[in-house]
Amino acid sequence: MKYFKLPIMMLALCFSVTAHSQTTNHQVYALFVVNIAKYSSFPNLSSDFQVTVYGKSKVYDELMKQSGKTVNGHALKVTQAENVTELGSAQIVYLADGKSGSLDEILKATEGKPVMIICEREGLHKKGAGFSFIVTENSTLRFDINNTELEKRQIKISKNLSTLANSTI
Amino acid sequence: MLKIIRIAIVLIVLLSTIGSFGQDLDSLMNLNAFTQESELQKILNKNVAVSSKNGLTTRETPGIITLITSEEIQNSGARDMTDVLRLVPGFDVLQDLQFVMGLGLRGSWANEGKVLVMMDGQPFNELLYQTVAIGNRFPVDAIERIEIIRGPGSAIYGGSAEYGVINIITKAAESLDGVAVYGLGGFHANAVGRTNGGVMAAQRGENYSWDISAFKGNGIVSDQMYQDLYQSSEAQDLSKVTRADPMNINAGIKLGNLSFRTMYDQFETSDPVTFVSNKNFYADLRYTWKVNDKLQLVPQVKYYNQIPWTFGSRESGEKDFNARATRVLTQLDAMYDFSRKVHGTFGIVYFQDQGIDLLAGDLFDGNKTLTLNNFAFFAEGLFKHRLANATIGFRYEKNNRYGAAFVPRIALTKKIENFHFKLLYSQAFRAPSLQNINIALGGTIKPEKSNVFEIELGYQFTPEMLLSVNAFAINTRNVLIYGSEGEGDDFNEWYENSAKSGSNGIEVVYSIRKKVWYANLTYSYSQSIKDNTVATYEVPDQRQYVGFPNNKITLNTNFNLTSKLSFNPTFLYASARYAYTSIDPDENPMLSKLDPYLMANAFFNYRGLFVPGLNVGAGVYDIANVRPGIAQAYNGGYAPIPGRSREYVVKINYQINFKK
Repeated sequence: MKYFKLPIMMLALCFSVTAHSQTTNHQVYALFVVNIAKYSSFPNLSSDFQVTVYGKSKVYDELMKQSGKTVNGHALKVTQAENVTELGSAQIVYLADGKSGSLDEILKATEGKPVMIICEREGLHKKGAGFSFIVTENSTLRFDINNTELEKRQIKISKNLSTLANSTI
Repeated sequence: MLKIIRIAIVLIVLLSTIGSFGQDLDSLMNLNAFTQESELQKILNKNVAVSSKNGLTTRETPGIITLITSEEIQNSGARDMTDVLRLVPGFDVLQDLQFVMGLGLRGSWANEGKVLVMMDGQPFNELLYQTVAIGNRFPVDAIERIEIIRGPGSAIYGGSAEYGVINIITKAAESLDGVAVYGLGGFHANAVGRTNGGVMAAQRGENYSWDISAFKGNGIVSDQMYQDLYQSSEAQDLSKVTRADPMNINAGIKLGNLSFRTMYDQFETSDPVTFVSNKNFYADLRYTWKVNDKLQLVPQVKYYNQIPWTFGSRESGEKDFNARATRVLTQLDAMYDFSRKVHGTFGIVYFQDQGIDLLAGDLFDGNKTLTLNNFAFFAEGLFKHRLANATIGFRYEKNNRYGAAFVPRIALTKKIENFHFKLLYSQAFRAPSLQNINIALGGTIKPEKSNVFEIELGYQFTPEMLLSVNAFAINTRNVLIYGSEGEGDDFNEWYENSAKSGSNGIEVVYSIRKKVWYANLTYSYSQSIKDNTVATYEVPDQRQYVGFPNNKITLNTNFNLTSKLSFNPTFLYASARYAYTSIDPDENPMLSKLDPYLMANAFFNYRGLFVPGLNVGAGVYDIANVRPGIAQAYNGGYAPIPGRSREYVVKINYQINFKK
């Protein structure tokens, strides 16, 4: 484990030194999604852990690379949806930027259910999503959390995760 | 320990290929939302302050931008600013009067008050006419980078930036923490073209920095034979009768938030019969006060004292024109961050210009002095939205003699993944200067005003390759035009407003930057507007102005042959131009067509010769000896300056960094 931490730190450093970079690093978004899943607990989770990417996003391709691996003892299943009827029993719905207008529809379809909605577009946690990403001035990726919404859906997130949020409501 | 490092390296490689999904939660906070920068992207992503005080990247800043790095200048072996700026799309170097060379931009003459040239924040446009003499003048080997707006900048910079802005930043003022010396020699077959050299020193601490640099040179305007337009004297060897001698002393100090810069610049040049001298002194004191997290105030006081455009007989040294111009300027800038996505910049400026005749004491309408009072206010808002960044701003300037000018600007810019766009509309103005007002025809003159539309689209095909294309339309009204008639005691000169001028065209920039080579290929097309009213610029039956080509292609390349040795060919093609080259039987200057030319140059650079920091270079400018002449940009009685012949260039520089 000691040997493992060193490369992780160095890798993080490699990423952090690039202040103004170029195209979106979807791998990093996917990495956040997996870690958010890892540091959250969902009620009545018995079978696979399903992450559904709603809309077209390269994050889906990155998540697919992790499909079959385990998240808190559950196999990670990654699917893609184009309408709410395809959401199935997803624990996490990742809302692609281009489909941000569908948030209300997804909120309605999953109301009261333990479904965490993570939005690619900034600020949507204020409109009912559990998480939304934000790119800071120095280009690092962070997230905002809507705790009220998560509590309504009986989803608990670890304190460690919560303290790393850019902002919470 | 070695074993641990080895394991770590292996794991890094593994993790970077399979994805680092076993990350510590804390380390997530350092992850960048974007992919790693390529070498090209590092340049493109630099925040450029020249076109917006809010510091957006080159691809998002509200202006059509060229960024030139010290590496590119060094590699190309550029002899002077002429070589550097000729590689910029839309830029040309033409002749003003008396062999003084100035800038043309996008097919229009821009020397007099239309392009603002700054070095370390100090404006080089002299105060009498607002011109900037180019040529063997600026210390190219001391430059850290040049930020260029190839479009209007009046909304921020006022009445000297109607067509463009060039912001030169020296190494001493920006990055040097040590001592550096540099020298340049240029040799023609039968004459020494130039010998320039400089020294600079700078130190940077946590709360202080200082820098001092000096640059001195001797040069000629050309080494060819010259026959004046009216054939009033024998053809003359310009290597013997012209000079282009620069000198610059530049010092700055920063203590905490207080910074002070002072500079003295002198440029002595001549044609076969007349010498021209420009002497400029600058002092600039400013305090950057961070009031709180959102508000920053920058009060500034500046003083310029110049003796520009002194001219007289080269043989006797007697002065025909000698006047001092001073400016006292106070300015307060305020930057306020309303939110993470809304930024505002405001400024209020007062400056007083004064001209003082140093000869008979009656230059200014029979008086020794002329004083102009100016007041300006500017504001700019930047609104960042996921779809576009919007910049909205204006400048209002009022002068006690010519009245007021109001220029708004609106810009929409955005980079979306590999694509970027810019939609820009600006009004810009040229403020009449001391002499424009002094010799105004009929005693009245208005500010010149331009409407400029620009659109740029860019696409990054790979991290190493960018293509950007822009189109522009410039319409200038109340064009400030110089006129003269007669000779000797009957000589009369004036400035007047002409109704309309301008140009439109496109510029294409293709940049590729690989590990061991790079190339910048540019194409510029410009044409004069159909209803131009400025006869002195006009070429009958052609859509181009005197001295300008319609088409220009440049190619700037670099090949690293070894880790230390590089080979750097540069090419410049210009299509046919028209110039006044002879006179008709009634002694009226006549236009003739100058052939297109292709100028090829090559330069070898060797870095770290014997010791780190010692770099040497050698090369040839104008290998094919095509000698493109430098045409006068208007019908002003000067034949083109014959282009200098093939020039062998050697450069050496040595830098020692202070130990930390």
